[in-house]
Amino acid sequence: MISGTHTYIRSAEPDDAPVLFAAYDLERPRSCLLDGKREPLIPTRDELREVLGRKEAAQGTFYAVEDSAGRVRGFCGLRGVNPEACFGEVYFLLLDEEDYGRPLAGEVFAFVCGRAFARLGLHKVVAHALDSEVALRAFLVAHGFESGGIQREAVYARGRRHHLETFSLFADAVPKNTAGPGCSVAAAEG
Amino acid sequence: MPFVTDTYLRRAERDDLDTVVAWMEDPEFEHFLYGDPARSPKQIRGQIVAMLGRAVGHTMPGGIYLMIDSREYGPIGLFSLQHLSWRNRSCNIDLYIGNKKMRGRLTTAIALYRVLEYCFDELNLHRVAAIIYAFNTASWRIFEKTGAVRELSLRDHVKRDGEFHDVYCYGLLRAEFEALRHRYEDAVEGVSLRAMIETLAEAEPGHES
Repeated sequence: MISGTHTYIRSAEPDDAPVLFAAYDLERPRSCLLDGKREPLIPTRDELREVLGRKEAAQGTFYAVEDSAGRVRGFCGLRGVNPEACFGEVYFLLLDEEDYGRPLAGEVFAFVCGRAFARLGLHKVVAHALDSEVALRAFLVAHGFESGGIQREAVYARGRRHHLETFSLFADAVPKNTAGPGCSVAAAEG
Repeated sequence: MPFVTDTYLRRAERDDLDTVVAWMEDPEFEHFLYGDPARSPKQIRGQIVAMLGRAVGHTMPGGIYLMIDSREYGPIGLFSLQHLSWRNRSCNIDLYIGNKKMRGRLTTAIALYRVLEYCFDELNLHRVAAIIYAFNTASWRIFEKTGAVRELSLRDHVKRDGEFHDVYCYGLLRAEFEALRHRYEDAVEGVSLRAMIETLAEAEPGHES
């Protein structure tokens, strides 16, 4: 769908279930994989396959990120869009934490925020990071997200309580033509 | 046991449907509700039916609804414990005071204290949170008095009457509630959940003192 210098971002498909499954780890819970009650969980591959086959995936709000060699490096997307207040939640899930500091991550950010602000016309987006997601936090801050605060001891996994930080990014803080270096949302979707 | 207030908590039942719907249809009340303000009366009624009708007696529901009732004034308001997570041992509290005359009164603070006792002592939770609009000053002040910490401040997060407003998220941990209870040990003795239950039992017909 979107071809950048370092990435190829496309709608996630049921075949991506094994890769997504690998991201679920109770030792290292990820904020974007918590359920509606903020509980870390381990779904089965079949459940993930079903989720990835659902309408929202087909409609293109859940994306897989491939590198130039065609390997899936992670997932990203937008969910919980509130049309009344014009905000939604964005999530960035890169399987290798070091990828958050690489150019690939910049393209993922530009793609997701380009969709949220330029295409959907949202006013702001929010994102979350657990205290253990150090690289994700640094990535969000580096891209202009501002912390709104920390929900203390909000998540419990494997004998440890985690803090959950919430970040916000407003549309006016992002350049209008944000769609990723070397790619264009309009051109790619047209 | 002294009866400091004649209000008490009880489980919200289907019989409360008309009362709760009437509160939620009030534009002034609706202003403070989280969610889409443009819902039709039918949608509101459907939501309330779903709230009050789904808790089967022998299963733990995803949400718990407690009415604040009063011998003198009848139903005053409703507590809703949402996103109950047994794994995280946490929940979110929503507080609705439908009876306008009772807003901002000590009654609300006492009811909240009892609900917090219910959350920490009966449900054995570790954390209770509340999401409150910044313009709902009375609500967030009462949470602050329990020792809850303003953890999140989300700028321009909700739109009401064409304007964006901030939203606050408060969190109260078990240890902080214990500290509050310890600090006001003498004052809360007569209004605790246990005192309320004992007083209600004493008031039952046929009770032998």
